Amino acid sequence: MVKYLAKRIFYLALTLFIVTTITFFLMKLMPGTPLTNQAKLSPTEQQLILQQYGLDKPVWQQYLSYLANAVHGNFGTSFQFSDQPVSYLISSRIGPSLLLGLQAMLIGVLLGIVLGALGAIKKNTWVDTSTTIISILGISIPSFVLAILLQYFFGLKLRAFPIAGWSGFAYTIMPTIALAVMPLAESARFVRTEMVDVLNSDYIELARAKGLGKLGIIYHHALRNSLIPLITIIGPLAVNIMTGSLVVENIFAIPGIGEQFVNSITTNDYPTIMGLTIVYCFMLCVVLLITDIVYGLVDPRIRITGKRD
Amino acid sequence: MKLSSVVKLSTVGLSSALLLAACGNSSQESKSKTIQWQESANLPTLDVSKATDHVSAETLSNSNEGLLNSAKDSKVAPGVAESYKVSKDGKTYTFNLRHSKWSDGKPVTAKDFVYGWQRSVAPKTASQYSYLFDHVKNATEISQNKAPVSSLGVKADGDYKLVVTLSKPQSYFKYLVTMTPFFPQSESAVKKFGSAYGTNSSSMIYNGPFKVTGWTGTNDSWTLTRNKEYWNNKATKIDGVKFNVQKTPSTALNEYQSGKLDAIKLVGAQQVGQYKNSKEFHNEKTASTFYLELNQKKDPAFRNVNIRKALSLAINRQQFTKNTLGDGSLPAVGYVSPGLASLKGKDFTNDAYVKSGVDYNMAEAKKLWAKGLKEVGKKNLNVSLLSDDTAAGKNTTEYLQTQFEQLPGLKVTNQNLPFKSRLSRSQNGQFDMVVSAWNGDFPDPITFLTLFTSDNSYNNGKWKNAEYDKLVQNAEGQDANNTDKRWNDMVQAEKTLMNDQGIIPIYHQAQPYAINSRVQGVQFYPTGSGLDFRNASVK
Repeated sequence: MVKYLAKRIFYLALTLFIVTTITFFLMKLMPGTPLTNQAKLSPTEQQLILQQYGLDKPVWQQYLSYLANAVHGNFGTSFQFSDQPVSYLISSRIGPSLLLGLQAMLIGVLLGIVLGALGAIKKNTWVDTSTTIISILGISIPSFVLAILLQYFFGLKLRAFPIAGWSGFAYTIMPTIALAVMPLAESARFVRTEMVDVLNSDYIELARAKGLGKLGIIYHHALRNSLIPLITIIGPLAVNIMTGSLVVENIFAIPGIGEQFVNSITTNDYPTIMGLTIVYCFMLCVVLLITDIVYGLVDPRIRITGKRD
Repeated sequence: MKLSSVVKLSTVGLSSALLLAACGNSSQESKSKTIQWQESANLPTLDVSKATDHVSAETLSNSNEGLLNSAKDSKVAPGVAESYKVSKDGKTYTFNLRHSKWSDGKPVTAKDFVYGWQRSVAPKTASQYSYLFDHVKNATEISQNKAPVSSLGVKADGDYKLVVTLSKPQSYFKYLVTMTPFFPQSESAVKKFGSAYGTNSSSMIYNGPFKVTGWTGTNDSWTLTRNKEYWNNKATKIDGVKFNVQKTPSTALNEYQSGKLDAIKLVGAQQVGQYKNSKEFHNEKTASTFYLELNQKKDPAFRNVNIRKALSLAINRQQFTKNTLGDGSLPAVGYVSPGLASLKGKDFTNDAYVKSGVDYNMAEAKKLWAKGLKEVGKKNLNVSLLSDDTAAGKNTTEYLQTQFEQLPGLKVTNQNLPFKSRLSRSQNGQFDMVVSAWNGDFPDPITFLTLFTSDNSYNNGKWKNAEYDKLVQNAEGQDANNTDKRWNDMVQAEKTLMNDQGIIPIYHQAQPYAINSRVQGVQFYPTGSGLDFRNASVK
């Protein structure tokens, strides 16, 4: 296990390194500098400004110092916010994004399990049909469309929730729903299929023959076994939530890193784009690593390097 | 925890949370004397020397104050300076300062202006607006590191008199001192806050009608709170203004309609169309012109005046702004924007109007086009048309393409690129035709006219005209102290530019707002800060 972990962490570092390198050089290819009035600045001033951002050095030197700083969590100074370190920008904005992401993940997956299980138990009834319709809708409607619809009906027309902003729990509800629908639909479909399989297997038959109650069978045997494969899709679902948050945070004006990311792209704030790319990449790698480890722990049959002697 | 209890708990928890939230929000924010204002971008800085964007300018011009303030009809009103005198040669300005205080209770003195200006010009500060000081004695030398900062032409004569020496007369200097880099700065505050100065609302001091509160440096809202130390605090009628960053126009509109926001920017034809006939609609003029530049260096055909005129005459500006853009923009009446400057009650654009430069006449266009092609010895022309990749940018290129291709033998290929890419191609001459835009810095036509002198770095099309150069030079030089002559120079310059069709003006952008009728007295200016809450009130 330790060996496996070490290997995975090495790959994580390698991925981060490659992503950082590619983003760095892509950014260098793009036009734009922190100079907003380039044509009107004296060469001395231009030189001084570039110096402040370390842009006067050769590109390879910039790259090396960027890597060295990035390892220490220093992503440079933002072009857009004067004198503001990118690391502060990110750290002060990551809270809302994490909260929304976790909330959406929890609610989405838990409700998804309930819906999926209901569908499987009441297979081929109206319950099954309606849960299937819900999950198909959930998969096919993009989160930003849902976000706009929620905002219009529940925010503006019904006044049930605040339209946008970030000052308390009520403000998290609509963005959470918008983000949760995708994991909800995915896990509902997944759990339903798995559980239908499991319910038809021999050991369920055996349990029934032993005289266990219906609910007991479902909780203790069917549901547990159908949930194990669900762990494998948690990673991709987390990716979905992260990409969805870019747009959803903008629509609901959440002061998170997704909103900042979009904003930095439109204002050519390269240091911030770089910093956020690395942070997103890191979060993604960690989520994938965790799911793999948890999978190994939960299902002894699947130990990735689990050769036991 | 058993799975069953997890499911139960989460179901109960979720439904109660939803219920609670639904109840919690039903109490609307009580109508206070604070205006809720939408801002479409984040606040990058509160450092007056470093601010270059409109969000910083809108906040700082209400939280801090220079010698003079912007006022209606391109006038100036007293700020920290009660009065000022200009010497006969136009080179010495003497400002008499009033006794006023910083938000920390210390007096605002002439030394704060000297320090602030020196800081804005010092190369070390790397202010991107330092060029605005170029007429102040030694400023250019200082920004090139050729003279010490202390040699800047601004001196304190006691605590309440400021003497400014210019290297040459500048009749619009009074407008410059209303801008943020010319604001006073307290040396003790700059030293005290160090590198944090201006990076959050508590690391800054204020001398304007409001203080900034609640800005962490990265968050999406901040508030202008009434400043009790302000010299004219008794004239302030509101408690404050809360700026809410809302980048998605549809969300902003929802928040406006629900009453959470008192004022929003209207974006696009649909939103403008919805409010156009409402009392809440305010279409504010900005000093902004979108125009077409033809690359004379790259395409010799564009050196022909008939070809340039034909292209201009092919554009139906009325139809374009009304039907295609529909976002409140106005058809171009010339290069300098209307409502920017006036003399003796007459707007510059009336004095300098050249009908043929902005007219639509397809028949005439075709005639001139044929004539021009013959003169340059060509049968047809294949050119690209460059613009931004914004909605308005794409609308513009599509419309122009349709109009231009009605000229026989002209083939236009559209290119829509992100702003910075478009800008860098324009500056490097990598284009045939480009839609450029200019926003004036201060309410004087010269802010537009200097752009098209032969050697100006913004003259991307490389149009050259000796007479134009001379007129602009006169306005900036020998006629600088003679208001009428200077005005006439600028009028003639604009006429020369239009008669020779050096550029092809297309439209003047406006800023449409929806503002709740409970908010009154907010003042908009086409240049500079743009937004003034000094006389604002709420019902």
